[in-house]
Amino acid sequence: MLLGKHLNKYYLRYWYLFLGGIAALIAVDYVQLFLPRYLGDIVNILNAEGPLDVDTVGSLCLKLLGVAAVMFFGRMLWRFTLFNASFRIESGLRREMFQKSERLSQRYYGETKVGSIMSWFTTDLEEIQDYTGFGTVQIVDSMFLGLLVIVNMFAMDWVMASFAMIPMLLIVVWGVLVEKFTAERWTDRQEKYDKMYDFTQENFTGISVVKAFVKETSEIHAFAKVAKKNKDANLRFAKVHILFDTLIELIIGLILALIMGFGSWFVFAFVSGSPVSIFGHEIALDPGQLVTFIGYFDSLIWPMIALGMLVSMLGRARASLKRVSAFLDSPEDVANCKDAKVLKDVKGEVEFKNFSFAYPANPDTEVLKNISLKIEPGELIGVVGRVGCGKTTLLTALSRLYNVESGTVFIDGNDIMECDIASVRDSVAFVPQDSFLFSSTVGKNISFSKPDATEEEIREAAEFADVADNIDAFPESYDTVTGERGVTLSGGQKQRISLARAYLKQAPVLILDDSVSAVDVRTEEHILENIREGRRGRTTIIIASRISSVARADRILVLKNGEVEAFDTPAALEKISPTYAKMVELQALEDEIKGGDV
Amino acid sequence: MAVDVDEKDRLKGDKKIPLGVFIKRVFRYLKPEIGRFILAGILILINVGLDVVLPLITAAVTDNLSSETPVLSYLILMACVYLVICVINNVFLYFESMVLQKAGQEIIYNLRMEIFSHIEGMSLSQFTEMPVGSLVTRVTSYTQSMSDMFTNVIVSVIRNLLTVVSVYAIMFVINWKLASLLLISVALVFVSSLIFSKYVSGAFKKERQAVSDLNAFMNETLSGMKTIKLFNRQKGKLDEFDEKNTFMRRARFNVIKGFGIYRPFVSFVYITTMALIFWFGIKMGLSAGSIVAFYLYTGRFFNPVQQLADQLNNIQKAKSASERLFNLLDVKPEVRDLPDAEELTDVKGRIEFENVWFAYEGENWILKDVSFVIEPGETCAFVGATGAGKTTILGLIVRNYEIQRGRILIDGKDIRHIKIKSLRKAIGQMLQDVFLFSGTVKTNITLHDDTIPDEDVKAACKYVNADTFIEKLPQQYEDAVSNRGENFSQGQRQLLSFARTVLHKPKILILDEATANIDTETEAVIQASLEKMRSIGTMLIVAHRLSTIQHSDQIIVLQNGEIIERGTHQELLANHGYYWKLYRLQFENQ
Repeated sequence: MLLGKHLNKYYLRYWYLFLGGIAALIAVDYVQLFLPRYLGDIVNILNAEGPLDVDTVGSLCLKLLGVAAVMFFGRMLWRFTLFNASFRIESGLRREMFQKSERLSQRYYGETKVGSIMSWFTTDLEEIQDYTGFGTVQIVDSMFLGLLVIVNMFAMDWVMASFAMIPMLLIVVWGVLVEKFTAERWTDRQEKYDKMYDFTQENFTGISVVKAFVKETSEIHAFAKVAKKNKDANLRFAKVHILFDTLIELIIGLILALIMGFGSWFVFAFVSGSPVSIFGHEIALDPGQLVTFIGYFDSLIWPMIALGMLVSMLGRARASLKRVSAFLDSPEDVANCKDAKVLKDVKGEVEFKNFSFAYPANPDTEVLKNISLKIEPGELIGVVGRVGCGKTTLLTALSRLYNVESGTVFIDGNDIMECDIASVRDSVAFVPQDSFLFSSTVGKNISFSKPDATEEEIREAAEFADVADNIDAFPESYDTVTGERGVTLSGGQKQRISLARAYLKQAPVLILDDSVSAVDVRTEEHILENIREGRRGRTTIIIASRISSVARADRILVLKNGEVEAFDTPAALEKISPTYAKMVELQALEDEIKGGDV
Repeated sequence: MAVDVDEKDRLKGDKKIPLGVFIKRVFRYLKPEIGRFILAGILILINVGLDVVLPLITAAVTDNLSSETPVLSYLILMACVYLVICVINNVFLYFESMVLQKAGQEIIYNLRMEIFSHIEGMSLSQFTEMPVGSLVTRVTSYTQSMSDMFTNVIVSVIRNLLTVVSVYAIMFVINWKLASLLLISVALVFVSSLIFSKYVSGAFKKERQAVSDLNAFMNETLSGMKTIKLFNRQKGKLDEFDEKNTFMRRARFNVIKGFGIYRPFVSFVYITTMALIFWFGIKMGLSAGSIVAFYLYTGRFFNPVQQLADQLNNIQKAKSASERLFNLLDVKPEVRDLPDAEELTDVKGRIEFENVWFAYEGENWILKDVSFVIEPGETCAFVGATGAGKTTILGLIVRNYEIQRGRILIDGKDIRHIKIKSLRKAIGQMLQDVFLFSGTVKTNITLHDDTIPDEDVKAACKYVNADTFIEKLPQQYEDAVSNRGENFSQGQRQLLSFARTVLHKPKILILDEATANIDTETEAVIQASLEKMRSIGTMLIVAHRLSTIQHSDQIIVLQNGEIIERGTHQELLANHGYYWKLYRLQFENQ
């Protein structure tokens, strides 16, 4: 049995499905064993002297039909219940994992690759599903059916049964060996296939290099090598795979021939009146019983194979459950504290007090050092500084994607570490540098921040971000699908849709993290104008690499190496901040060059 | 956009091929393995023949035992015959499967080589039109489907047909009335198998769809988790997930439903048929042995009938896979050697553009009437804003694309009359984003050319100053490059690309400089190697850092596909034009 705290509750929840399925399996197993017996009876009737007992044959045939009916419904029932349960377990666990993935912090995502999480979601869950569904069938069949047949065989004749048991063990051994011998070659075959796949993909992706160096021929030779390895691995696998397939057939045939040979001898001796005696036990076997015995043996093949396979299957499922459980049990570091305060009617005052920050992955490097500043509600703030000076980190802190030190970051005078996380994120709309859009329609991407937004609201947001005209030009305007299966958006369009998404939220604080870098100057000017108008009276913070983006801000924060160099009005800054002065100078030069461009 | 998608689909190939042509083409791949197929065919014949005999033995034993005078030696003999047939049968079966496997693997291998070589020969421009993913599946999985058609589908169809016919013939001989009665069950099984196989392939398709949908969604959600949190949309995404998760559970369960009805149904028919055989067999007065034989034959009858229905589906699948392969093989490379194309020998390195006009499509000119001459051994740099056409010029020299008007000459020869391979061999290209392949540092420099001695590799690396960082790697030249070279910095990649180029001894060098920032130390190393490489031959550089090109013999400034300034660094600075502004901007930004 596969057990674990995350799995057991599902067994309890779907107990009726398991119960029904196992009952159906047992019923099928039970009636299935009538078949060899009826067969034997019929043979005996045929052998009997005198006129045929047609009535008995008739009733036997009716009984056969009865068994057929029970088996039909039983087999249907266990498939419909056990697999139903196992699929429900799989999707239930997947749901738990999904919820977990939404609760884990960005710290976790920084440390764990999406690829590994995906493999827990797919391969491992399938392994668990397979074991809880088909594995249950194998357990019941190998235990119940196996035992029942053995009991029946012994009841018929214990000496013959004991002799038959010896080759039977061969089948169990086969089941264990087949996994052992084929698994390694199967993995090898899979690996060689993946290698060939990767080689091909890489070659086609890097085709420009191949063409540039005229390496077509040598690449074809290299491909021939991986393709040959793939071929050899396939054949290596086929060899054992086919060998084992043949072996099991051979073992079964061998046992059948033995039973037939010895059985005929026993029957012959019994019929001739001098039964064979082994260990002082006289074997009484009529032809019908021999047929029944062969039938029993036939029914025993599957449970024995299942028994052999169960061992390795359980091993794999246990390993998968362990990985899934580890994921479900990983600590959630960003979580609401006790009695978290829900922010309401936020005015938009932001304050940092002696704020320092280092990323969890790199705790020794402080990205920000002792930042203290206060932004009044309704201010339009610009943030500038060189690449890597900590602009993004400073403002990301407001969204509490990572934990910060208590008593350092405040919204409306409330320590964000003591506030309800959702309400903190509701008060801050953040437009990140990398505009991540989902593969859905343009309209839904914009209304992502506010699913109940009306069409007018979505349109207004698009106009705010100066992307409405572009959207109108799309084949299905707001219903146009973006991403791989739809329209490919330019970098600038993505940025503006991502801006519209954040604007629609109408949050007390709006932060733009260099989010119009890919749009042309005129559009940027337009957007800045919209911000000044549309965000009047509400706090807006613009992180920029170009000075022109923030020239008309109320105040500009200049960061240098994680510290505040200056925080003042644009006019005052030119005198007190060397970094800012330099930026202004360069900007003028750049404008000149751009001018020549038109 | 919609048109684009259709174009791609057409390239993927769904063009129907007439059946006659199709069979002819398919047979070409079968031919080299014909000996193996004949051997397998003979083995199958023997196999089916022996298999059919087995129930007769059991029947003989039964009859003998039921007779008045059973003969023990006869019974033992029969058991021995049974055993021998069993052994022979399985040994033959083993060889037959192995022979088919070998034949199949050979076919796949040859097919893969053909497809891969064909794709490798296509022009660069064609690769941008075809998604890499679908090209890869053609090489890896479609080839398998096609070979499956011979080794699996057709072979099993033959075996099953043989079995069905011979088994039925024997039953017919034993008792034609009972055999005719059996047809009802056979028809039931065949029809239900047809229906089932159709249903289940539809259900499988839905399941695959559901799985890939959910996986795509999961991948996107996990990658975009930051955005989801920023907008507090965990609940919304959970709802979306629930919908997809439930859909997938249902899709999977639908497959099980198919099996859950079909399998029990077939076994129901089977047991019912047994009852019918007993009842009617006895009524018709068959011997015990005959009834047992009938009973056993029915068992051998059901499997092949079930499989036949399934195989009809598979043939269809294999056919469409092969068609797509043939369609791809019918795509001819766009840029090809002209019949009178010559080898390029003894390259001096004079490059001339003569009123060149070029557009990727239509009248959307990227280059407008561009003319310039670069003398052998000179270094020429191209400067300008993004989209000015600098990189395009480099791509045209190596004939990645054909120009619409004008001529490009190398040593006075029009490149259209030069064999593409010899043209590209003469030109060493250092591309903008250095693509690294999985393998080792060494294989990334030699590019799988095993004939290049290690000393040459080391010498090339030393020449471009790449040896210093390579020798610091744990396994030096054998150090692994994985994940497209994520573990190497931009600067290191650039140096590796230099080494690659120098090793292949070109006469003309072209360099498209990487835009990414490179640390100062590496930058200095790169500058030094560039300086050295100038002595190799003519060199063309597209530069993003003006410091790279200050010593060029000629600098060409482009704007919107036209040359607006040209001259040496000093001349251009003295001009106080566009170049001067660019230079000041970069210089002061440092």
